[in-house]
Amino acid sequence: MWFISFVNSSIGRKAIMAVTGLCLISFLAIHAFGNAAIYMGSKYFQIYADTLHGFPVLVLLFGLGLLVILTAHVGFGVLLFFEKRKTQSRYRVATRVVENTFASRTMPYTGLFILLFLIIHVFGFNIAVPADVPISAVVKDYLSGFFYSLFYIVAFVALAIHLNHGFWSMLQTFGVNHPRYNCLIATLTIVVPVAFLVIFGGIPIYFMTGAGASF
Amino acid sequence: MSTIDLKLLIWRQKNSDSLGDFETHVLKDISTDMSFLEMLDVLNEKLTKDGMEPVAFDHDCREGICGMCGAVVNGVAHGPEKETTLCQLHMRKFASGDTLVIEPFRSRAFPIKKDLMVDRSSLDRIIQAGGYVSVNTGGAIDGNTTPVSTETAELAMDAAACIGCGACVASCPNGAAMLFTGAKISQLSLLPQGHAERKQRATAMVAQMDKEGFGYCSNERECEAVCPKGISISSIARMNREYLKGVFFGR
Repeated sequence: MWFISFVNSSIGRKAIMAVTGLCLISFLAIHAFGNAAIYMGSKYFQIYADTLHGFPVLVLLFGLGLLVILTAHVGFGVLLFFEKRKTQSRYRVATRVVENTFASRTMPYTGLFILLFLIIHVFGFNIAVPADVPISAVVKDYLSGFFYSLFYIVAFVALAIHLNHGFWSMLQTFGVNHPRYNCLIATLTIVVPVAFLVIFGGIPIYFMTGAGASF
Repeated sequence: MSTIDLKLLIWRQKNSDSLGDFETHVLKDISTDMSFLEMLDVLNEKLTKDGMEPVAFDHDCREGICGMCGAVVNGVAHGPEKETTLCQLHMRKFASGDTLVIEPFRSRAFPIKKDLMVDRSSLDRIIQAGGYVSVNTGGAIDGNTTPVSTETAELAMDAAACIGCGACVASCPNGAAMLFTGAKISQLSLLPQGHAERKQRATAMVAQMDKEGFGYCSNERECEAVCPKGISISSIARMNREYLKGVFFGR
């Protein structure tokens, strides 16, 4: 079938990485928008959380969809990683003309670290949340802890590095490469990861530093 | 005339089935006006005189336009000079006392025939899969019957500059032939003459590329940097567009 051969092709696999990557970035944008309510106080954050979970069926469907997309992204990523290993170090002298960026070199590692973070994050804020405690209290409780917060910040830095190569790479895979927009794309590949880093990374810092003491 | 002394670590392999290894040779008084291939000629003369087997390497025009020559010199395909084939690389780019490690273009899809000679017919088979246009037989078409803007013609010409040497494959961390295939697809899809087969072309050529054992693209731009003809990775982006269009909207 055409779709199977598409998925098996070299460009098809990269296209799957790009499409699922775009879906995950879109999800992150919505997630960042919602979580920004934390900066307005626990009341607003609780309203946001309650409203969101007022649609349990939608949340479930959305969550399952995300799981499928994430599994595809990780699965194909691991597949490509192992394929790459087969062609490594085939010369006596290994020289790079273009020094590959730290981000592109570490894509599989930042990716797997983000996956580890996701498992801990979903477990902490979704599965293991006691029914009678409001989510705003759980957030404050967890993120006031130094090591828990530090882990979150490190994960957000990994996310920013991952997106630094991922965003540009995604557009190139889609075939978005045009002299008129290349400058804009080069800017966005820095701005987008930094924006996520500031919004998400600010949350643990907000609680760690005591700025969110009255949350 | 200035001369330099060099130490060569050169790959020797009897045939595709045997295991190869590096051989060390010292060359004295190499003129800096020589090209890299002329330096290898000097080495081969010396080897022949000494009753040894000369080093086999591919070459043809020796003016950088045929795409026949090529080796990896100190880890860089076609050597250290930018946008230059191995035959156009001159010994003045090296210093006396340098050690040069000379290896063939390595890829799963390029079996080594002998020493520095590799079989690049996998690239020809990619072209056969879709790198052609259909033209009606009969009288030759008048010039300028099909209008093509200068800009489009120039863009197509930039892609058509690809000489198919395989340096992109040799230097790609994934052993991919994306730049080569991208350039060949670009050259035809940019021009109106190439539009008839457009939807099948990218799908067929990419399928053949995968079948030959070339890798995928992880957007590291190494191919663009070593390409002796300066083909841009925008060709790869164009191939991706052509491929996605072909897969999703082709018939």
